[in-house]
Amino acid sequence: MTDRLPPLPGEWIDRQRPIDFRFEGRAYRGFEGDVPSSALWAAGVRVLGRSFKYHRPRGVLSMAQHDVNTLMQAGQRLNLRADVEALEAGMDLQAVNTSGGVDGDRLRILDRLGAFLPVGFYYKAFHKPARFADAWEKVFRRLTGLGRLDFATPHIRTPKRYDFADVLVIGGGPSGLQAALAAGRAGAKVVLVDENARLGGSLGYQRGGTAEGSNSLDRLLRELADLPNVSLRPGTLAAGWYTDHWVPLIDRARMTKMRARAVIVAQGAFEQPAVFRNNDLPGVMLASAAQRLIYRYAVKPAHRAIVFTANAEGYEAALDMNANGVAIAAVVDLRAAGQGGSLQDRVERARIPVLAGHAVFEARGGNDRLAEAVVCPIDAQGRVDTASPKRIACDGLMMSTGWAPAAALLYQSGCRMIYDESVAQFVPEALAPGMYAAGRANGVHGLEARLADGERAGREAARGLGLEAPEAAPVMRGPAGASHAWPIIEHPAGKNFLDFDEDLQVKDFLNAAQEGFDNIELLKRYTTVGMGPSQGKHSNMNAIRILAKVLGASPGDVGSTTARPFFHPVPMSHLAGRGFDPRRQTPMHDRHEALGARWMPAGLWLRPEYYAAEGATKQAQVEAEVHAVRNGVGLIDVGTLGKIELFGPDAAEFLERVYTGRFANLKVGMTRYCAMLDESGVVIDDGVVARIAEEHWYFTTTTTGAAVVYRELQRWNAQWNLRVGLVNATGAHAAVNLAGPKSRQMLRQLTDIDLDSAAFPYLGVRRGAVAGIPARLMRVGFVGELGYEIHVPAEFGAALWDALMEAGRPFGLKPFGVEAQRVLRLEKGHIIIGQDTDGLTTPDEVGLGWALKLDKPFFVGQRSVQIVRARGLRQQLVGFELEQGAATVPKECHLVIRDGAIAGRVTSIVESRSVGRTVGLAFVAPGMTDPGTRFTIRAEGGVMVNATVVPIPFYDPAGERQKSPD
Amino acid sequence: MNAPRSSALHTSLKARGARFDTLLDMPAAVQVADTDAQRAAALGIADVSCLRRIGLKGPRAGEWLSQRGVAVPADPNSWVPVEGGLVARLARTEFLVEDGPGASTVTRIAGELESGLEGVYPVWRQDCALLLAGERVMDLLRETCNVDFASSAHAGEAVTLTQMVGVSVTVLRQQVGSRACHRVWCDYSAGVYLWETLTGIAEEMGGGAVGIAAVWPALVAG
Repeated sequence: MTDRLPPLPGEWIDRQRPIDFRFEGRAYRGFEGDVPSSALWAAGVRVLGRSFKYHRPRGVLSMAQHDVNTLMQAGQRLNLRADVEALEAGMDLQAVNTSGGVDGDRLRILDRLGAFLPVGFYYKAFHKPARFADAWEKVFRRLTGLGRLDFATPHIRTPKRYDFADVLVIGGGPSGLQAALAAGRAGAKVVLVDENARLGGSLGYQRGGTAEGSNSLDRLLRELADLPNVSLRPGTLAAGWYTDHWVPLIDRARMTKMRARAVIVAQGAFEQPAVFRNNDLPGVMLASAAQRLIYRYAVKPAHRAIVFTANAEGYEAALDMNANGVAIAAVVDLRAAGQGGSLQDRVERARIPVLAGHAVFEARGGNDRLAEAVVCPIDAQGRVDTASPKRIACDGLMMSTGWAPAAALLYQSGCRMIYDESVAQFVPEALAPGMYAAGRANGVHGLEARLADGERAGREAARGLGLEAPEAAPVMRGPAGASHAWPIIEHPAGKNFLDFDEDLQVKDFLNAAQEGFDNIELLKRYTTVGMGPSQGKHSNMNAIRILAKVLGASPGDVGSTTARPFFHPVPMSHLAGRGFDPRRQTPMHDRHEALGARWMPAGLWLRPEYYAAEGATKQAQVEAEVHAVRNGVGLIDVGTLGKIELFGPDAAEFLERVYTGRFANLKVGMTRYCAMLDESGVVIDDGVVARIAEEHWYFTTTTTGAAVVYRELQRWNAQWNLRVGLVNATGAHAAVNLAGPKSRQMLRQLTDIDLDSAAFPYLGVRRGAVAGIPARLMRVGFVGELGYEIHVPAEFGAALWDALMEAGRPFGLKPFGVEAQRVLRLEKGHIIIGQDTDGLTTPDEVGLGWALKLDKPFFVGQRSVQIVRARGLRQQLVGFELEQGAATVPKECHLVIRDGAIAGRVTSIVESRSVGRTVGLAFVAPGMTDPGTRFTIRAEGGVMVNATVVPIPFYDPAGERQKSPD
Repeated sequence: MNAPRSSALHTSLKARGARFDTLLDMPAAVQVADTDAQRAAALGIADVSCLRRIGLKGPRAGEWLSQRGVAVPADPNSWVPVEGGLVARLARTEFLVEDGPGASTVTRIAGELESGLEGVYPVWRQDCALLLAGERVMDLLRETCNVDFASSAHAGEAVTLTQMVGVSVTVLRQQVGSRACHRVWCDYSAGVYLWETLTGIAEEMGGGAVGIAAVWPALVAG
């Protein structure tokens, strides 16, 4: 551990807990509290990864979550951020973007081919000739992508959770801690999160050679500890902002969906790199990175360093490094006057040379690391005088020329940001309700000012919630000069990097602007600036500056790009988490399972499609089920149908309005088909209405339409204010349809209800007991046979099924599924809403004109139907049959063709044993509806199949079987 | 009527080896495992669907209940205890009445409501009814529902109608013996899904399905 410093107060590492790990095949030792980057830097390793495009060597840049060139793989864990992830014992780390290892990366040749790979090269090359496209794709797939995915990686469940707070403070630096303290003292339930492993932010590492920061941190943490209503959560990232102050919080274990009443953004600012030739050599880093290495991990960032600065923070960094054994060769200050004042005095008293009005023109390396810097005078216009360069040997070059606010969550919340020339950064101008900004994110930079701004934000948030807190005076932004307006040093040989994620140089931006991509959003997409894993945290501001200069505008005029969640990379496992996919099942579900049901989804429900038997095909089973219904008795679970109870003196009037038919004259004890339209006259649902008592109705809807219909009925009821009560009984009632010529005889075994046709006619409804269970029975004819729908309370559903199956044994009772039901109803020509209709189908198009009682004063969709009817039909549903012996059977949705043009589509089709041919329903053009009209259907593979329009129903056209006299 | 009532969760509980006793004409899981007590201390979920309940709707529903001596909560989204059971006001004109052990309010009023009365309409409740108890109930709720049940707005006499793991539920806090519990009702058809999801999460928290005896002995003693 050549570069580990002696113990420092406040360091994050635990020297009593050494950790052994490997990197690129070599063994190293760090400490608990280290991250891979710090442990490796302490061990003298300088090349931690390779850049994305040119495979240039890269080391530490920020130590602040955006060192994207040091992504590493640890076994099955991909793309660990080496500047963030905790070092663990036994880690076997590899840099992700190399071919042959980080030191011997064979793809480093790409750095020499940069001239052939300008920005946007892939938009212009590799398209022609087309025959090489596949080969090029393979090349690029091999070159791109980070890490190697192990498909044997175990599934790890990372459940999400919800949490709640009055005030969520994001950022645990001075302003955030002070804001939490102020809001907490006012009585708010406060949660403070910070992405770092420990709280304190810059208080812990930007010391400037004094103890002022660490003393403030101690005080804040002490005072916060006395507030039980404040929860401090380090190691927790606020990844985004969503409407109503929903903020996803990411920690190591999970995502927490935080709902806060107010949010204070105190995330500070990202230090921005200066742009000069070879500013990416290992050893060139942000000054704050050097300070983090020192005070968090007790690692000496360099032995001999230059500080390239334009603000006070650079001088403080020089003092911090000087105090910890780093020889400072020079402070190179872009400003002609330097920093001045006591801070510069302290630096100079430490015998550190200050070169005011100078810039680092380029960095030079050897053996993949920084070796010297070339420093030249620079004037106020940013022109470098290269006549007499100073070459300064160094292994560290720390950049401190400016800041960009960590304002992504402010942007996401709709905050209007403006560019404040006085602090040369974007600052909030108008915050969204419940949002507050404090500290550097608010353009406030001095320590005392940041504490005051945090206090102000905390109090304002509390007062906004109606809590008592003293009013706080606004805090002035500044001081001026924290950020230099043009920290960009042009160089004829380039390699002055602006975006380290994507290896973008200054010339890339100039070229893009020249090509016409002179809007910040277009520039982003063409150059890909800010589209890498760090999402532009270190590049967007400089990109804006360059574009502003090209356009002769200010950064404020250029504006910034859209800030989208997530703020930092979030593991996919956290996003996937535990899935909640509700499903509903009827009370007979287990009975179906035991009978070999094959399931199919119907909305949220699972329904038996058919009942499988060993050695039998699906078709054979369905045919057997159909046969049982046509010739004996079958039983189907129809409990998924929507079921609604309606009470009240205006119930009949209500039904008259929501359905197309007439119900006021429906006798007690009878049922009637009902069709529902929307206001545009489109058929949206159907079912059966039963009049149980004078003011008590019970009706069914389609399975998938139940929730929508009930919601619509509630809406209409609220609007009309009729004296009715609606109850959704869908899940509360089990229901079966017992159907077939033997159904009456069989049912007699279980009930005292008089089932004779005279007493219980077709379309009648009766109440009584079946197998001792209170039940409602309706004689319906959906499948075209004598049948009884039996509805019972859900808690008796299983008992009803068992009793029917037992009683049906002598009658050969056979359960049947949805597939058989589809066949049976199609043979009768009965439509299914949603299958034989679509989102535009009118009643006349599907032969439901008979169900429209247009002489009623009103029903929903009535006026639209009248208008549409006057226009004539667009299409019409007809029955058809195929020619006998057709080799190919079309499927639903296959097109109807006439005279070479599309004339419609098949909606339902089945090979019917009951009618002895293949029959179906199809939409056809008007003029093709007369029986005997021939048309063709384009089946699979383009095979044309002949069909003929025939009358429906196909089976039992007189309906004698369902009426079934005794 | 001689057919047994059946909980939506009967098969699921049977598969777990639960011991059933008939409570209120329904086979009810009184014990799921020998470790019920330990799991209930952490996070126990019991099926109490056997309790009799009925719903009422209509402009006169509150008044009608009061006339029959049934206490009615003054405000929507609140509840009052009644003879070991409860009356919850789900909306201005909608109520849920659930009998506690030994009570008969539901049976008494259900007989009068067959096809409704003027301004009073029956809601035949067939809920899957759960009881949640133990130290980690709040953890479970925070993983499954976006309502802050720790806040005063959802404590005490409050009734919360919301969604849990995508299922519409009614939730309230109820003192059951010496335990502060959460009660959850959902539609019968969603019961198995809700139960399997909640007990699965509870197991990860050291709890899981428990019998009624572990959390509501008075109901078993009945």
